[in-house]
Amino acid sequence: MKINQTVNNSTQFKVLSENQIEEIFYSALEVLERTGGVIYHEEALELFKNSHAIVEGNRVRIPTTMVEEALNFYPRKITLKGRNGKRSLHLQKDTVAFGTGSDLPFTYDRKSGERRRTSYNDVTNAAKLVDALDNYDFFMSHGIVGDAPNPQTYDRHQFMAMLENCTKPMVLTSVDGEGLEDLWKMGCMIQGGEDEFRLNPSFVAYIEPISPLKNDRTAVEKLLFAAEKKIPAMYTPCPSSGATAPATIAGMLVQSLAETLLATVMCHLKNPGMPLIMGGVTTVLDMKQSSYSYGAPELSLASAANTDISKWLNLLMFSTGGCSDSKILDEQAAAEQMMNLFYSYLSGANLIHDVGYIDHGTNASLESLVLNQEMMGMVKQFGKGINTDDEHLALDLIEKQGPGGEYVTTDHTFEHWKEWFLPKLQDRSDYETWVKNGSKTMGDRVKERTQHLLDNYKPEPLEEGLKKELWKVVEDADKRHA
Amino acid sequence: MSYDLGKITETLIQGKVDRLTELTQEAIDSNAEPAKILNEGLLPGMDNVGEKWKNGEMFMPEVLRCAKAMSKSMDILRPRLTEGELGSAGTLVIGTVAGDLHDIGKDLVGMMFEGAGYKVINIGIDQPNENFVNAAIEHKPDVLGMSALLTTTMPRMGEVVNSLKEAGIRDQITVMVGGAPVTEEYAQEIGADLYGANASTAVDVTREYFAKAKN
Ligand code: B12
Repeated sequence: MKINQTVNNSTQFKVLSENQIEEIFYSALEVLERTGGVIYHEEALELFKNSHAIVEGNRVRIPTTMVEEALNFYPRKITLKGRNGKRSLHLQKDTVAFGTGSDLPFTYDRKSGERRRTSYNDVTNAAKLVDALDNYDFFMSHGIVGDAPNPQTYDRHQFMAMLENCTKPMVLTSVDGEGLEDLWKMGCMIQGGEDEFRLNPSFVAYIEPISPLKNDRTAVEKLLFAAEKKIPAMYTPCPSSGATAPATIAGMLVQSLAETLLATVMCHLKNPGMPLIMGGVTTVLDMKQSSYSYGAPELSLASAANTDISKWLNLLMFSTGGCSDSKILDEQAAAEQMMNLFYSYLSGANLIHDVGYIDHGTNASLESLVLNQEMMGMVKQFGKGINTDDEHLALDLIEKQGPGGEYVTTDHTFEHWKEWFLPKLQDRSDYETWVKNGSKTMGDRVKERTQHLLDNYKPEPLEEGLKKELWKVVEDADKRHA
Repeated sequence: MSYDLGKITETLIQGKVDRLTELTQEAIDSNAEPAKILNEGLLPGMDNVGEKWKNGEMFMPEVLRCAKAMSKSMDILRPRLTEGELGSAGTLVIGTVAGDLHDIGKDLVGMMFEGAGYKVINIGIDQPNENFVNAAIEHKPDVLGMSALLTTTMPRMGEVVNSLKEAGIRDQITVMVGGAPVTEEYAQEIGADLYGANASTAVDVTREYFAKAKN
């Protein structure tokens, strides 16, 4: 027996020290007391007026005590259950899930090679791939249903497109409070009622403040509705360092934490104990192209730091990875996606979204989803760390095979090589074999795999009765908005 | 008192906002012709900045500082310049369409136009169609810019174009559109005159357009 041992069951990664996190936290509290935020929503302002906060016009300043109180009420665990009936997604500290992003206006058409607008059909195809590929744990729509009959109800159509081919838990964007209400009703139908949905939510609602420190009517409307019904939701700031946040990462983290903390208080005033998740797409504005960068190393660094903060606050975290600024799926895309996948995974964020994004969040690519499946596998392998028990130290084996011996045929190898990552798309062949097999690039292999999955994968269909009921909600919404 | 137009050019390139305002005021107090301050002091400076920006020698924060300096200096000069003297430096009204809260893209476009000497009226985000039309009537801008970042809000831009027609002022205004889901093709479809893929091309495209119109 040994004592005083520490074993790393996984790799360890942290950007900020505890003291640095405290600095950022105190600073965010200072922002809320000194600067505050603006809110464009009557009920929310009323809630703050009836509290110890100071409300002047739309400006709200919040004392630290209110923040500290609110922070005590958020769950450290949320479990999601997709329509496949599996409670597959346990959001809890250092448990990581990967998923796509949403709403991409354009799609990279695989046949023509051209960029065109995204449609319902593109979303069903993305749904199919996400269902088929096991490294994806949750689904956001990837593309936007741009051909919905009415932009005011596109969110319900999008949910249907997603449900058609994907059985996994989801993260949903919505048009407004009414949209979210419909999505929630649909979620309740799938799970078997409001109470079941509360215990087994099938989706998380995606909501955003407007950096810097602004909360618009629609976002607050959604947030308060989520609080009322206890729908899991993230309120995820999307600051661009140097434009809508300070150009320093620390300053950006302070500001976005202040935005998050304001939301924790607002939800707490509405209905204590809502499953709120912290978020953030924290990146820089490219100062040459004036674009919001999804491939900058600063995105990886700031996101990982943000996750450190979330863990210290005991909040669950929605983060970003697997995304790129590159216009097409090329070397740049692979490099950037790999980098932000890797660090978001190591940071231990709970929901990592935007996997597969190219063209800084404007272009959808099914092939990108397939490439990322492979890269997520590599990243997860690294995260496993190194087992150092007797079996893995293999002393007896080293002694047995001795100097000059071989390991290929041993029982030990037969047993343990299966712990390795098994590439499906990476090519590790010798040159002659590669030529014989058609000299295919990674891009070629990704294309073939994508087509194969689209042609052959059959997701569990949505039950017909339920499908009808769900469409009814969508049609009612369309009638209301006709 | 004396003035030094070369100093004005230099100070502008350095992006020294307060210093440039002082120098502009001093030049005026020394009876320099406003048109001369503009043409021989400021514009060569902004041309130089524009060139450096294109060559990748200057970046957004530097360029926009120069633009801010230019704009403050223009605030002093503009009332003293005749229509003809203003030359290409016209007025831009810009805003984000109804239902759309994306802010920063159109702000950057506005700042770049300020750098080109334009007077910029930024009417803000989430602006109902009639606000664009009213602002067009009130400010008589040379260019009306609309920003839409959402597939769902893009159609507002075409609606505004139609409202401008109904108000009978469509011919008097150059309509320019932009935003992530907006394309050149879409701009043509809805009857806009100009499309700007980003803040700096927006200025170039506008300049070319007016230069052509003159010839
Ligand atoms: C930051 C951001 C936000 C921030 C905006 C904060 C702010 N202060 O502006 C917040 C968080 C508020 C936000 C909200 C939403 N967003 Co948003 N957002 C973005 C993001 C990531 C970056 C935008 C940005 O700031 N870019 C940097 C600036 C400098 O670039 P730009 O805006 O494109 O402007 C440049 C050019 O387009 C052009 N330009 C712009 N306007 C004009 C106008 C003229 C006249 C000209 C000539 C040129 C021009 O020049 C600019 C400068 O170079 C984009 C993704 C993207 N890459 O575009 C998504 C994106 C635009 N958002 C999107 C969505 C879906 C939303 C939400 C609907 C999400 C939701 N469901 O809640 C809400 C909508 C809220 C609303 N009603 O508007 C989608 C749109 C998808 C679609 N198909 O329509 C995008 C594409 C991301 C995505 N795939 O999901 N968003």
